[in-house]
Amino acid sequence: MSAQAPLVNIRNLVKHFGSVAAVDDVSLQVGEGEFLTFLGSSGSGKTTTLFIVAGFEDPTAGDVEIDGRSVLSVKPNERNIGMVFQRYTLFPHMTVAQNVGFPLMVRRRSKAEIDKAVKEMLDLVQLGAYAGRKPSELSGGQQQRVALARALVYKPRILLMDEPLAALDKRLREDIQQEIRRIHRELGVTILYVTHDQEEALRMSDRIAVFSHGKIAQIGSGADLYERPADAFVAGFIGNSNFLQGSVVQSQQDQVAVRLDDGTVIRGNTRHPLAANARVRLMIRPERLALAPSNDQVDQSLDVTLSDTTYLGDMLQHEVVTAWQQRITVRTNDRAAASSAGNALKLHFASTDVMVFEDGNRATA
Amino acid sequence: MLLNLNRMGPGRYVLYGIGVLTALFLLLPVAFIAALSFGSSQWLQFPPPGWTLKWYAAIFNDPRWVESIWTSVKVAFTVMVLSIALGLPAAFALVRGKFPGRTLLHAFFISPMIVPVIILAIALYVFVLKFGLNGTFIAFVAAHLIVALPFSVICIVNSLEGFDESTEKAAIVCGATKAEAIFRVTLPAIRLGIFSAALFSFLASWDEVVLGIFMASPTLQTLPVRMWTTLRQDLTPVIASVSTLLIALTIVIMIITAFLRRRYAR
Amino acid sequence: MFEAISNNPYRNLRAPRVGLRRLRPALPALIFLFVFMVVPLSSLLLLSVTKPETGLGNYISLLGDATYARVLLNTFIIAALVTLVTLVIAYPVAWLLAILPSRVSQIFFAIILLSMWTNLLARTYGWMVLLQRTGVINRALMGVGLIDQPLPLINNLAGVTIGMTYIMLPYVILPLHATISGIDPAIMQAAAITGAKPRQIFWHVMLPLSLPGIGAGCMMVFVMALGYYVTPALLGGTSNMMLAEMIAQQVQSLLNWGLGSAAAFILLAVTLVFYAIYVRAIGLGRVR
Ligand SMILES: Nc1ncnc2c1ncn2[C@@H]1O[C@H](COP(=O)(O)OP(=O)(O)OP(=O)(O)O)[C@@H](O)[C@H]1O
Ligand SMILES: [Mg+2]
Repeated sequence: MSAQAPLVNIRNLVKHFGSVAAVDDVSLQVGEGEFLTFLGSSGSGKTTTLFIVAGFEDPTAGDVEIDGRSVLSVKPNERNIGMVFQRYTLFPHMTVAQNVGFPLMVRRRSKAEIDKAVKEMLDLVQLGAYAGRKPSELSGGQQQRVALARALVYKPRILLMDEPLAALDKRLREDIQQEIRRIHRELGVTILYVTHDQEEALRMSDRIAVFSHGKIAQIGSGADLYERPADAFVAGFIGNSNFLQGSVVQSQQDQVAVRLDDGTVIRGNTRHPLAANARVRLMIRPERLALAPSNDQVDQSLDVTLSDTTYLGDMLQHEVVTAWQQRITVRTNDRAAASSAGNALKLHFASTDVMVFEDGNRATA
Repeated sequence: MLLNLNRMGPGRYVLYGIGVLTALFLLLPVAFIAALSFGSSQWLQFPPPGWTLKWYAAIFNDPRWVESIWTSVKVAFTVMVLSIALGLPAAFALVRGKFPGRTLLHAFFISPMIVPVIILAIALYVFVLKFGLNGTFIAFVAAHLIVALPFSVICIVNSLEGFDESTEKAAIVCGATKAEAIFRVTLPAIRLGIFSAALFSFLASWDEVVLGIFMASPTLQTLPVRMWTTLRQDLTPVIASVSTLLIALTIVIMIITAFLRRRYAR
Repeated sequence: MFEAISNNPYRNLRAPRVGLRRLRPALPALIFLFVFMVVPLSSLLLLSVTKPETGLGNYISLLGDATYARVLLNTFIIAALVTLVTLVIAYPVAWLLAILPSRVSQIFFAIILLSMWTNLLARTYGWMVLLQRTGVINRALMGVGLIDQPLPLINNLAGVTIGMTYIMLPYVILPLHATISGIDPAIMQAAAITGAKPRQIFWHVMLPLSLPGIGAGCMMVFVMALGYYVTPALLGGTSNMMLAEMIAQQVQSLLNWGLGSAAAFILLAVTLVFYAIYVRAIGLGRVR
């Protein structure tokens, strides 16, 4: 997408509500046909950013360009953007068909054209049989699918979705996620999607922008974020992770050796050069850890005691405790490693799976 | 957009304009009467040529005004007491009773609000004439009680519905008698509802004009009846001063209720 | 905790007492209303078909006689006019109140309550003085040169409409305000983003969603206005007398009890019909 000009270009966006900076210098580009997700905890500025793109809020500073032109002075109804909201926003006094036809009705299209488009759209979201119903006669999932049809019927190039599935239960959510992905593929519409469910973000998006305190902590593909998190916050936010504390012994480009509090030295990777003796956090994914009886020899290891094992069906999850009483989670499908609580074990791992971050204030787990 | 003042565009100035004009419209007669009541002009000139308190003095120097005020107070107070005495048990029956036709009974109790007062008035007029009760204290009380009762029932039913009956049962399980439980647990819990019931009942009687007109005799009149008969003859400034006193009373009551609501709301 | 109480030993405490025993506390109120409302109304109904002679004569002359029919028509016209004017003013006001910061709207609500709770005769007196020939309004209009001659603003349709609108405004503003505040702003945003212009959002979304409030407010005002006595009697003229005034006149001054009570029952019937429509539309549960 870097080759061609981006469809949406958000530049240094800032939004203050009184003294609160809801959005604090956000910049990002969205390519035509891309599925970009805003992921972040509550209050991190996702909705505000989306609402500025939609035109419901005016930014304090910065610019939003669509197709190379600033849209800040364009009213929401003239931006030709589709949007699905977190709350159910179907018009309660209209039938499903009237709801979906509404955008065309206000565009003064002919009745025949509206009927045809409505039918097409309802088929797309598989609700053809519900055209005559009122929103109150639909389930939550059906309502959001109608909302999706309403947002797409006028063929906007950009579709904004603000936690559209937050109010639905898990099964239904997964069904509709698949449907949204299918529609994205079929129509090639550009989607800006907001969620605070990381699984949803990983499953659906081309790229994910991780929001934290009004800023983008990192933007990239799911694999990028998972394998090469920019900082401890992203590492903690995406996927499960174990954090250990230590200080740098030696650092050479992206290789770093860290001394843990008990004196053990562990080698790992870093994205930024680190000064000697700097306090750092080490992160290891639970599934990148392996357990072996304590007399086994491995290249990089830590002595631990098994405290608990949980059976997760496809996997086993072990809780182990280090000598200095830190809990570490291990996920494995190696049933042979099963052992009883209290046994001494060795935790071993490759240095390429250890990520080392500066111990910044923003770090949370 | 349309529900956000800051993003509504120039249309909001139209709303502001209508809002300000309506506020002025609502305040106009109230403020005007108050100003007029201190004006010295017998002919209601405005702005008044001078300021005076003589119209207030006129009320208190005229025994007919004083008497009518006194009658109104007595009637309204009696109505208030009876309205609670009848409305409180009725509300209990409506909320807790499980008998058939409860909704119907509820509708019956609030029906005096729906029947136009003029109809109640002439029906009662004919009725009291037949029994020679016209112009009596009883006739006033009975008539006013009819229109006060719905307020009492509605207020108490509402607060009683918000009260969890199991609390009363808990008191009984703790050893209280049914009566003790009601007097020590339930009634204190719904006191705000009872207070509103009393207030609205008093005001319903105090402000009642139409029923009063038909119940009154030249010797026994409530304040609104006296105002009515005076108004039909001429627009004396004395009415302005009486009205101003009534407006002052309204403001006092509004302040008290606002204060109470803030205190008991949560 | 109280769930436990409902279990075994105290079960009898919870069992609903079926039957009319629980009706007993309502008896005093019931008897009172029966004696002082049902009986008088029934005897009035009886009067309407027995005085001066037995039969439906009173009803026939009421509906047949041009003067009486005019009064009936007048009543409807004035009630409808007042309802319309009230709605047209109340809607923008309720809308404004729903979006103003609550500190400002609170002041407005205080003004509404003040006007609503001020004695009816006091308010009407205020309008009588304001609207008279030599009143402030006429003098002000002449002062700014809008008119040369005082306008007839009292004892006619204008007077009744102004006075009644003044009284009815709060009864429409309050329910409308509740309805409009209840509209989810996200629904309006959804309409905007799909391309609807503000005008289209208003007509296709906001107004339909405020219909329950409009209906409740208008019905209430219309029904109240139909039977209103004091304000039309003081501000209206003889040529546009309303039903309530005619009833009072027939009974009190002309001692024409039969005709008066027949007119009263026509008014009652009309009121109840509209009230029934109102209840059906919004559901009895919400009437209280
Ligand atoms: N209209 C507003 N007025 C004042 N503050 C606001 C407003 N809207 C948002 N905020 C504040 O801005 C910050 C960001 O809010 P925003 O709604 O964008 O978060 P979010 O990431 O969408 O969170 P969530 O996941 O809970 O929806 C929050 O601190 C919020 O309290
Ligand atoms: Mg949000």
